[in-house]
Amino acid sequence: MPDLNSLSSRGMLHESWTSQVDDYAIVCGWILKGDALLVGDAAGGLNTFEGKSGKDMWKKKEVHEGGLLAMSIHPEGHIFATAGQDGNVKIWKAKEGEQRKIIELGKGWVEHLAWSPDGTLLAVAFLRRVFVFHEDGKEHWHSDEHQSTVSAIAWSSSNELATACYGQVTFFDVVSGQVNQKLKWKGSLISMALSPDGDIVACGSQDNSVHFWRRSTNQDSEMTGYQVKPSQLAFDQAGKVLATGGSEVVTVWSFQGDGPEGTIPGQLFLHTVPISALSFSHHGMLLASGARDGSVYVWFLQNDGNGNPVGGAFMEDFIGTIAWKPDDSALAAVNAKGVINVWDFKLRTKTSSKGFG
Amino acid sequence: MAGKTKIPVTILTGFLGSGKTTLLNRILSDEHGKRIAVIENEYGEVGIDQGLVINADEEVFEMSNGCICCTVRGDLIRVLGNLMKRRDKFDYVLVETTGLADPGPVAQTFFMDDEIRDEFSLDGIVTLVDAAHIDQQLGRSDESSEQIAFADVLILNKVDLVPSDKLDMLEARLRDMNRMARVLRCRQADVSVDTVLNLSAFDLDQVLQRRPTFLEPEYPFEWTGVYKLEQGRYELTLQEGPDPFMSMVAMTDQGFDEEGLIEGAEACVRLYAEPAECLLPGSNIQFGKHVSLQLQSEGHKSFFIEVDRPTNLGLFTQHTAEEFNIQVIELGCIAGGVDKDNDCAISPEKERVWVAQHEHDDEVGSIAIECFGNVDPAKLNTWLGKLLAEKGVDIFRMKGYLSFAEESRRIVFQGVHMLFTSQPDREWGDEVRRNQLVFIGRNLDEASLRSEFDKCLI
Repeated sequence: MPDLNSLSSRGMLHESWTSQVDDYAIVCGWILKGDALLVGDAAGGLNTFEGKSGKDMWKKKEVHEGGLLAMSIHPEGHIFATAGQDGNVKIWKAKEGEQRKIIELGKGWVEHLAWSPDGTLLAVAFLRRVFVFHEDGKEHWHSDEHQSTVSAIAWSSSNELATACYGQVTFFDVVSGQVNQKLKWKGSLISMALSPDGDIVACGSQDNSVHFWRRSTNQDSEMTGYQVKPSQLAFDQAGKVLATGGSEVVTVWSFQGDGPEGTIPGQLFLHTVPISALSFSHHGMLLASGARDGSVYVWFLQNDGNGNPVGGAFMEDFIGTIAWKPDDSALAAVNAKGVINVWDFKLRTKTSSKGFG
Repeated sequence: MAGKTKIPVTILTGFLGSGKTTLLNRILSDEHGKRIAVIENEYGEVGIDQGLVINADEEVFEMSNGCICCTVRGDLIRVLGNLMKRRDKFDYVLVETTGLADPGPVAQTFFMDDEIRDEFSLDGIVTLVDAAHIDQQLGRSDESSEQIAFADVLILNKVDLVPSDKLDMLEARLRDMNRMARVLRCRQADVSVDTVLNLSAFDLDQVLQRRPTFLEPEYPFEWTGVYKLEQGRYELTLQEGPDPFMSMVAMTDQGFDEEGLIEGAEACVRLYAEPAECLLPGSNIQFGKHVSLQLQSEGHKSFFIEVDRPTNLGLFTQHTAEEFNIQVIELGCIAGGVDKDNDCAISPEKERVWVAQHEHDDEVGSIAIECFGNVDPAKLNTWLGKLLAEKGVDIFRMKGYLSFAEESRRIVFQGVHMLFTSQPDREWGDEVRRNQLVFIGRNLDEASLRSEFDKCLI
């Protein structure tokens, strides 16, 4: 059966356009329903490009003094938020790049931002607290101090927010302000991903491991053996598998059956240096991976976590982010030299090729 | 990413009131042409308007395995992880720690985290010491002795507040704890920026140039004189000196060259370990025996040496010849009618001063090992692995260089607790192959370290 699977689909990366920003590109994302690509660089520059042609749209310099640290695009794609070393959060109109709101949190870095799934709330991690704001910049709620700086945030639903810090993951009901659940583990948690149904919590840890919890059963387990810290974690849209970095091999844990505990994960070998970016397509089991040397691959995954490469490209330097276009018809990646590459992605299935016959 | 130069990092430690902020402000205002990013942990202390001053809460994170050597500074990993994306903005990083910080986790951060290790290199650890208060501080907290032990440079600040004899004692105490560090004295943290930044402190050659004897083992004797003696009777004379008695071993057939001297010294160490025979003035000195010359009486004292065949006689004495004005005089010598008392005094063919042993009061101390020859890498790895697993917690710093038979270059290494890195540096060329190691730690077992390292030699 694996043979059939590997033959059943063929995809390709066709170079669409490439461009350049002035500094180390750290984040990118599609705005305006995929009509434009937004790129943020480390110096605090924001650059937008027409999705199809790559033509420059609007551009801003140094929107955060000291540099940009985080960006989150609203699920509707019409506004987005940025944060930086200046202690500020800014909300922007995607179309013109007009600054709609500025939220001043004080002295300190603002390192994480996340819009709630329904787009009504913006979560902001600032030092040891997490704040939740309305779209208009009004504060909705903030947490007490965590025991250390908040290292990751994620929404499990539109009114429940998860935070990770040293030693624990906390789930807050942002309507009542109550703590719904605390998951403790003595370790420095550096990244977090929630399964789409919100039941599985995965955290990368500084000691080169990934820790899982199942919220419904309180079961937890630790996956060790990574070569470097697994900062990159990505669930597919159906929550079947979790792809992780932490070495030059993409390790994919399958949640089918009793897994992933006691199972052998899928391993995707092609990169030769550690993974620096992972991103699942919006539909289906397509995973894009980027590495510190600028290599980018797209993989077609099976439910057991194994998979086959369907395309690859090289961008010469550290890949910061990879972003699938909302309809999965294109893929964008940015690197440390400020280079942006966009590829049209075509997936031909057996059915469609038969359609031509 | 290969070939990218790493950004050097200096860690600045020292107790509250030792003058860290004064030094930091001095470094930032000095015209050294470097763009320095400062990560400080005590809020708002830097008074200079400087572009890249980042405040970070000192967040020390232990790992689930409970190993203290894996403990890192989470805030530094985050801050440096972001800073390395802005490499064009700075070319040096200075990390200031709070007064009570254990320097271990800060230093370990540069070994433990792969991204930080790839982009930054630990240039040196500078510890400021308040000369007026460090004596009490050392008694009171482990952190202060650890800050001393970890240092590459110890800046003895506020020396104007302490009398100079007390300063000497203090410096001796600090050197005992950390033989590898360079000690500077100053007031108001007024030291040259060159002595703090870009030390390449892990380059042992520099340390050796500054203090060539620092690697030498300590001996129970301070002085050796080798005398070329014909058959005959000789008088050993001593004047008033600092001690009412003095240990000595006289060795026949003593070599003059360094190798011979060290061989003799090693033999004497064993003899010194045996109980000494007390000798009153007027007695004969036996060869190859540990004797204690009794020098309680006032004025000039004489002992006698009988030589039955020509030999090179080595005298290994507890104090230097100068301190007692030690002289060897040939008896019955008739030298052309000139006053025999003076003219028959024999000058030593060779003199050698040794690093003297003394009491170590502090638990924290340093051990230096130097051996000629090549090391077996496999044996060394096995030994170091075992040593660091068992004693890693107590070994604060370790550095040195090694010679492997298969490698034309020296292997330099350095470590913090159980983490260490090694890499080849310059070619050996014609130089005699040798190995040097320095360990700084708490309650180290010197004898066992030496003998275990000896077993790693080929």
